[in-house]
Amino acid sequence: MPQQLIKVRPTKTELMKLKRRLSLAKRVQKIVRDRLFILMIEFVETARESVETRRRLLGDFSEAYKALSIAAGYHGYIALEKELVATEADSKITTGSRNIAGVRLPSFELMRAERAIRGYSFVDTSSCVDQAAQLAERCLEPIAELAELQRSLELLGMEIERTKRISNALEYVMIPALQATMKYLYMKFEERDREEKTRLKRVKVLLHQE
Amino acid sequence: MHNILPYNRMLQEYLRDELRVLNAHLPRHQKSLAELLLEKYPYVVCHNGSTHLFKRKELEYLASLIRADKREALLLPVLIELGQNEGESAVICSGEIVEEVISKVLDMQIRCRQKRITIYKPQLALLRKKLKTTTQYVFFPRTLE
Repeated sequence: MPQQLIKVRPTKTELMKLKRRLSLAKRVQKIVRDRLFILMIEFVETARESVETRRRLLGDFSEAYKALSIAAGYHGYIALEKELVATEADSKITTGSRNIAGVRLPSFELMRAERAIRGYSFVDTSSCVDQAAQLAERCLEPIAELAELQRSLELLGMEIERTKRISNALEYVMIPALQATMKYLYMKFEERDREEKTRLKRVKVLLHQE
Repeated sequence: MHNILPYNRMLQEYLRDELRVLNAHLPRHQKSLAELLLEKYPYVVCHNGSTHLFKRKELEYLASLIRADKREALLLPVLIELGQNEGESAVICSGEIVEEVISKVLDMQIRCRQKRITIYKPQLALLRKKLKTTTQYVFFPRTLE
């Protein structure tokens, strides 16, 4: 595909400007590549971690449900439901952000609060309920972690796409266009030199003839 | 000849923004590990005015790696400089304590040269995995040349 040329006047000043722009474009290309490199590392790592956390969470959920069904079997659904009516508790999560190469990613951290009393009667319940509650509480941390990872993954993905587009535009459009225009200008200057030489020779011949 | 100046201008604008946002996330002042452990919400303020929150779990992990009297010397976040080639990066080493911490995190012997600890891609991934909020990338102008 023929390279598109930038519309410039064929002067030395324009050539200087183009040179400066080319050097800037190359420097920025390096930055964009570095940024892309960082984002890719983070993306892969986040994806890997996300899979691990999801697996852990599924394991924790399965254990918690197993314990809950044992507790339900032991006490009966109605009795268990009656006991668990007043056990709702708010979980505290610290939220913030962290910045990776210009991308602001969320950061969630579950505040661990040791709860001695869960809200149900210890007299009317067995250790099965304690076990189920403990296992269910264990699921909260991976849930917060997974939420953070999933959102980070989305944001990183979007930024990678955007950065890649810029990188490609620089690599395949802007820099080649600048180089092609510079080449064109050099050719123009050479042609002008040749014309000048021919003109001088012609003048010389004319002067000789006179 | 085609006039691609609008496109060009767009890229120039992008480049200007890119340079501006690149190091905007760096902290105005680093804080010591001891100081951060005492805070309820451990954070540092970045150059662009935003806050960078540290995870308490990571701070506790770092605290478990070093002696209590050395916590004051460890300044966070630890900065990671991207190298000239893509496979290489450097951890900016402000003191022996950083060397000790990085060595323990990566579980290998490392050496600090000219205030830099050179690490490679797999180690960088491991370091970032373990110290997600307590490390940050930094771009130096000389790496851009």
